[in-house]
Amino acid sequence: MTKTKIAIALTMIALLGLLAACAVLDGGRSLSFTHPSAADIGAKPKVCSGCHEGGEPIPFARFDHTPFFADNHRLEATQYEQTCRGCHQVSFCNDCHATRVELKPSDRNPTDNDRRMPHRGDYLSRHRIDGRTDPVSCFRCHGNPKAARTCAPCHGK
Amino acid sequence: MATVRHGRRTWGLILLLILGLPGMAAAAEFQLKSDTLFRFFERHTNREKEFSIAPAYEYLQVDVGSSSEPGLSFHGYGWGRADLANDGYFEDDTAGEILYGYLEYRGKEANFNARLGRQYIFEGVANEAVDGLRLSTDLGRYFSASVYGGQSVALDSENGRDGDSIYGGRLAHHLKGWYDVGVSYKEIENENDLAEKMLGVDLGVYLPYGVGLYGFSSRNLDTDGWGEHSYELRFKLAGIDIRPYYQQFRYEDQFDTGANGAYPFRFLAETDEEIKVVGADATMKVGESWDFGVKAKNYDYDRRDDNTQYYSVLATWYADGRSSLGGEAGVMNGDAAEDDYVLLRAYAYWDRLPKLLPLSFLTGEVVWVDYREAIYDEDTSLFVSLGAGKRFLEDALEIKLSGDYSRDPYFDDEVKGMLTISYLLGRPN
Repeated sequence: MTKTKIAIALTMIALLGLLAACAVLDGGRSLSFTHPSAADIGAKPKVCSGCHEGGEPIPFARFDHTPFFADNHRLEATQYEQTCRGCHQVSFCNDCHATRVELKPSDRNPTDNDRRMPHRGDYLSRHRIDGRTDPVSCFRCHGNPKAARTCAPCHGK
Repeated sequence: MATVRHGRRTWGLILLLILGLPGMAAAAEFQLKSDTLFRFFERHTNREKEFSIAPAYEYLQVDVGSSSEPGLSFHGYGWGRADLANDGYFEDDTAGEILYGYLEYRGKEANFNARLGRQYIFEGVANEAVDGLRLSTDLGRYFSASVYGGQSVALDSENGRDGDSIYGGRLAHHLKGWYDVGVSYKEIENENDLAEKMLGVDLGVYLPYGVGLYGFSSRNLDTDGWGEHSYELRFKLAGIDIRPYYQQFRYEDQFDTGANGAYPFRFLAETDEEIKVVGADATMKVGESWDFGVKAKNYDYDRRDDNTQYYSVLATWYADGRSSLGGEAGVMNGDAAEDDYVLLRAYAYWDRLPKLLPLSFLTGEVVWVDYREAIYDEDTSLFVSLGAGKRFLEDALEIKLSGDYSRDPYFDDEVKGMLTISYLLGRPN
């Protein structure tokens, strides 16, 4: 990293610190760090909008875990990562999203068949078709050199 | 040289753990979560040798500090593998990875958050593992921001690469009940040359009658083109959640990520392809016990000048605890016969078994796929999985056994088995 880049990074951090100090004066948006556990509220919550009816700083209805939520949660996670962390530890996300995971999610947790995890069953055959049809969906998890080691034995480095 | 640097970074992370843990452990909450996996399967490879493979994996997670109150905490997670059969099947692979290991400080005000160490960053255009520092905070009532910088884990010691750096951030503007809009930036350098430079714009607009408009666009500043536009509506109509969406990807700008790229995506970046996806999901809850879903999407390829459609329907029935039954059918239908398949999946998870049975739960699953054009002379695949588990010590200890059978274009009759021992010490997740 060049000296200029280091200076830019330090300036950004200093500016952020200054703005954060100003933010304290205004109160900011309140956000609970951890959601009450299933034991606290009587049942494992699945549909956020069942309790959160709107009018809160976070649009919780977006996080309703509908049957297709596992396919479509990217926008929520990249806009409101802290909301995901209210219920899920980062290790939960890392079962699928990590730089290097040797076992695909359904091999790591074979008895969690109710989680509708990707690549279930004979995905080696199916990936030939899904890869032609929608390579962007492959790229999001296998798009960098370390994550692509799964692909390297056949596709090369 | 790359291996030496990789070793230094790993030892640096371990040193961070050693220095950070004792100070917090005395008064803080502590959690240790261990998953020990014993797998067994057989494999015939092009090395003309039949392998009986018996790897043991250990996934270890450590959390020190309260996750619900402001203050300092530590979080670590990683995995390691030992090849019990020791017959060379894994000779080309690493034997483990630290997925994250960071100190975290949460402030009392303004959602201030600081993380130092190896961490995964999901933020706007960033979907990266970083060895470094991340700071985030609210900036008053209407803005929030985050910045991060360090070294890219993805480039660390891969293919002789060295001297990498990554930095970026996201600035967001919020108007409660109306919209959220964010601008994000990411730059990766490798050996002091630009590897990737991306700009992202994300959007959430909350319209009347519960209608939401959400989207994301990314621009590759190196190729100077838009790689992605993804936008969707969400609304409820007669109790049905509906999500129509439009996506557009330009391969050159999406996949040309310089040194941070990998095959086969590097090849795709040179194809000048552009794809447009139009689709919709609809889901509906019926009472407390049923979920139904329907999905349809169309892929339109510019250079290939053809289309592919995917349709699926699913239904799930829920009972006590985690018990559920589900089924799903999917159809991929392309202009090219080689892209066509029909998929059927059914599963059962039986939780809270009668006490006269010496088990806590049973699981079963079947996946069957019919390929319109045979792959290696096989036009179907069948996957069957059965599992069982027993929980002890108020669910702190769980022992699970599973067996899989697969008959498909790649494997004649593959049988895999796995024993998992999970132990949780400390607060519940």
